[in-house]
Amino acid sequence: MKVTIVTRSGREVVKGGIVINDSALVSDLQKEIHARVKKYYPSRQRLTLPLATGSRERPSVLNPKKCIKEYAEGNAEDLTVVFKDLGPQVSYSTLFFWEYLGPLIIYPIFYYFPVYKFFGYEDERSIRPVQTYAVYYWCFHYFKRIMETFFVHRFSHATSPLSNVFRNCCYYWSFGSYIAYYVNHPLYTPVCDLQVKIGFGFGLLCQVSNLYCHILLRRLRSPDSSGGYQIPSGFLFNIVTCANYTTEIYQWLGFNIATQTVAGYSFLVVAALIMTNWALAKHRRLKKLFDGKEGRPKYPRRWVILPPFI
Amino acid sequence: MAGVLSALKRVYLTAYNWTVFVGWFQVLYFALKTLKESGYRDVYGAVERPLQLAQTAAVLEILHGIVGLVRSPISATLPQIGSRLYVTWGILWSFPEVRTHFLVSSLVISWSITEIIRYSFFGLKEAFGFAPSWLQWLRYSTFLFLYPTGITSEVGLIYTALPFIKASEKYSIRMPNRLNFSFDYLYAAIAVLAIYIPGSPHMYRYMLGQRRKVLSKAKTA
Repeated sequence: MKVTIVTRSGREVVKGGIVINDSALVSDLQKEIHARVKKYYPSRQRLTLPLATGSRERPSVLNPKKCIKEYAEGNAEDLTVVFKDLGPQVSYSTLFFWEYLGPLIIYPIFYYFPVYKFFGYEDERSIRPVQTYAVYYWCFHYFKRIMETFFVHRFSHATSPLSNVFRNCCYYWSFGSYIAYYVNHPLYTPVCDLQVKIGFGFGLLCQVSNLYCHILLRRLRSPDSSGGYQIPSGFLFNIVTCANYTTEIYQWLGFNIATQTVAGYSFLVVAALIMTNWALAKHRRLKKLFDGKEGRPKYPRRWVILPPFI
Repeated sequence: MAGVLSALKRVYLTAYNWTVFVGWFQVLYFALKTLKESGYRDVYGAVERPLQLAQTAAVLEILHGIVGLVRSPISATLPQIGSRLYVTWGILWSFPEVRTHFLVSSLVISWSITEIIRYSFFGLKEAFGFAPSWLQWLRYSTFLFLYPTGITSEVGLIYTALPFIKASEKYSIRMPNRLNFSFDYLYAAIAVLAIYIPGSPHMYRYMLGQRRKVLSKAKTA
């Protein structure tokens, strides 16, 4: 069959289109496009079915694993697909690695090196126990995240735009420095011992729970990510849709109870807002997918992310 | 009911725009009068009250945008109003030492001419449904000169205030404290100056785009 590939403004991406086997998969089509236009490697391509002009619907993206024939109307020998360049892409593992590496390296610099001399604090600083626990807790957290990135997570998309690397690294590295500056400050004021123990203890419990949540999520996805969405279940997922975000937020709460800085708490608030946005979208998606009709299970009543609030 | 509400909205916005117009007119009048009669060092003293009132009233415009009374995107007006309030209260009112600087005169004259044109433009539109094309032309052309003069005055005054900010320790929070928090008003002021570097060309380019859009539409109308 003959596939015509156009941009959203109507320009032909591949002059004359591509003639391809009827039984070919969309991923084969993407390889062909890449062969004809060198800079558009497959993960950079977003192929959709054309929408009627003025239609307010969201275009349906072609699934690389499906057969091209499935998208052609009836027995048509011609198909038009709309192409969008997603820009340079990096794998999710790469993205996560770089955004987590920053905090892992920057925070200990404030702890171990006489950084505060550059801020005008000439005297020797005396390191409090809570500051030592904090650097271990913080580094364990980001080390765990990097390990999960390579050994636990199964990603829904293979890649993410390169621009996200800069944006995300700005976020993580800036907040990491901001918090590290205050917790390791020579004039840092610790809270009472009991509060430190409760904070870190609770935080560690949440980190372990968070790891377990990630393992459960991994099991929901088959190795080649072909399964599509499933209803998460087991452990905290039975009561809250995004238990992984819940445990992550509470883990930061534990850190802040122990260290008590405005910097740390502001990071907690921002992170919670971002994750709540994601959680609402995921919850909505799952409810829409699992509507109880046509033999599909109905998504059970659950908290979205932070019982008892939302 | 809808008719009454929309009429009320028109009356309110007309009153708002013309009231603030009068405020800025006073600023310009007193500024020019003082320059003629005594000199640039006394300009601040003469304009302080109407300047603070007229400039702070602009906060209402953010409310108008949020509530939906006006169509302006708050993303464009917020940085503008933010910098104005910062200079009016955070620099001029807080650090009297800079009030006698000659840049105060260029500042209030640039601001007041711009605002007089802007508020009369909106005042006429709300009251009568249209504004004369020469006023529209002024609104989208005077910025070409007044933005550079205004921005230079703002940056110059913030820079002049820096040593006084450093010496006074005003608005700064020092460690140690229970929240393990600190804020240095001097570094914040330097950060504001840094933001002007990408911010000013961005705003200027935005206005150039607006000018092209509006005035070309006026030509074809």
